[in-house]
Amino acid sequence: MRAGYVFSEVATGLRRNITMTIAMIITTAISLGLLGGGLLVARMTSHAEQLYGDRVQVDVFLTTEVSKNDPNCRNACLTLLDEMKANPDIEAVEYHSQEDAYQQYLEQYRGQPAMTEIVDKDTLPAFLRVRLKDPAKLAIVAEQYGRSPGVQQVTDQREVINRVFDVFTAVRNITLAIAVIQAIAALLLISNMVQIAAFTRRTETSIMRLVGASRWRTQLPFMIEAIVAGVVGSILAVLGLWAAKAWFIDKKLSGLFNSGVLPQITFGDFVFVTPILLGAGVLLAALSAYVTLRAYVRT
Amino acid sequence: MIHLSHVSKSYKTSTRPALEDVTVDVGKGEFAFLIGPSGSGKSTFLRLLLREEAPDRGDMTVAGSDLTKIRRSKVPVHRRRIGCVFQDFRLLSNKTVSQNVGFALEVLGRNRNVVRRVVPEVLELVGLEGKANRLPHELSGGEQQRVAIARAFVNRPLLLLADEPTGNLDPDTSADIMLLLERINRTGTTVLMATHDNAIVDSMRRRVIELQLGKVVRDEDRGVYGVGR
Repeated sequence: MRAGYVFSEVATGLRRNITMTIAMIITTAISLGLLGGGLLVARMTSHAEQLYGDRVQVDVFLTTEVSKNDPNCRNACLTLLDEMKANPDIEAVEYHSQEDAYQQYLEQYRGQPAMTEIVDKDTLPAFLRVRLKDPAKLAIVAEQYGRSPGVQQVTDQREVINRVFDVFTAVRNITLAIAVIQAIAALLLISNMVQIAAFTRRTETSIMRLVGASRWRTQLPFMIEAIVAGVVGSILAVLGLWAAKAWFIDKKLSGLFNSGVLPQITFGDFVFVTPILLGAGVLLAALSAYVTLRAYVRT
Repeated sequence: MIHLSHVSKSYKTSTRPALEDVTVDVGKGEFAFLIGPSGSGKSTFLRLLLREEAPDRGDMTVAGSDLTKIRRSKVPVHRRRIGCVFQDFRLLSNKTVSQNVGFALEVLGRNRNVVRRVVPEVLELVGLEGKANRLPHELSGGEQQRVAIARAFVNRPLLLLADEPTGNLDPDTSADIMLLLERINRTGTTVLMATHDNAIVDSMRRRVIELQLGKVVRDEDRGVYGVGR
């Protein structure tokens, strides 16, 4: 079979059905754009998980007694500190005395006398700031030291982080759900386009069958037409996502990116998403065209 | 070339079988007419030969293919050995004469050089050498049928099936088309022509197979259209 001849047929077919082709490209682009958006959010979530994981720390607050009687961490405090240093799950431990805690508090609320006046040197407990090797072990470590002598309370930022991740997950799921609905629309539209293309060229296909063209040969131009539209759609989806990132997300969320609250979407993320969208576009088009033609073009 | 033995075919929508216990043999290089009134089973007969339909009962071998056992994937290969011509020509209106003829070669994946060489040869055979770049609507009915015959013949089929090829043509043009089919027959191609045209059948004095209500009622070597007509 000569490729040149097949492609000239494909070009004619796409031109003849130009409005349908455009509709199909747009629908494919939107559905794949949403799919890509979902994937990017998913990647952002996992990047954020790392980002926050690196920063997750546990503050082990000492009792008032230990805080007051052992300001330089020599006795009860030191036992705890050594125990933690020996723990393989713990990356680093740092002792902050009552004095340190007070200074940090004053620093945090500088210029807010209402806040600074309510505490004095003895109000805040001393604490051990613990950084973990594996943020996932946070619960275990918190549990372990929560009951140790001299410890009043263990705090961590898990709850806050979990809430942030919940938002990410929800955004991702909603995006993917819309992408699936759009994909179904795209599937039906592609199927419709293939049907119309096959109908407008039914004389051609019937002659092809009469002269003994194989089923594949008869269906190939229609499948390639659908795939071409699918590929163009997925390229538009990638370009659209890139434009949304450059002109919208990067500008509106620049504060969050710069302060390190959210990880930025990188070029690498696009390198990851692009082949998936191209593959999905080709698959979507080829599959719906194939199924439609099986039902539509007889041998 | 065509061997049918006790072949029957019914359609779900009809109470009467379209073909009933048909036994026919047409040898290589023969020229035969298939005649009979509308609804007698001529079209079903041709559809079975092309394997557009499968027989319900009986054995049939056409152009070397056993059509009772043929696999679906082999049907296109079977059709490549058969050329087809119809009353309504079935040309592609947006393609020129030579593109229409070349189409039969292109869809089989023939080399471009083969297409360039063979198409003018066949156009010359059917007498259209000066009209290669015309579109079908620029041609007369007889010329369009010549293009269709050229397309059917360009693959040098073993068997040429013609379904009322002169049905839309005036008597003079019909006679020209018959001359063309005879010329193709002389190259060794078996020709089976379904027709209503008694003048043609009577003047050609070739084999006549007559169908009525799905049965073969007459099979004569040098027949005429109908006794007493």
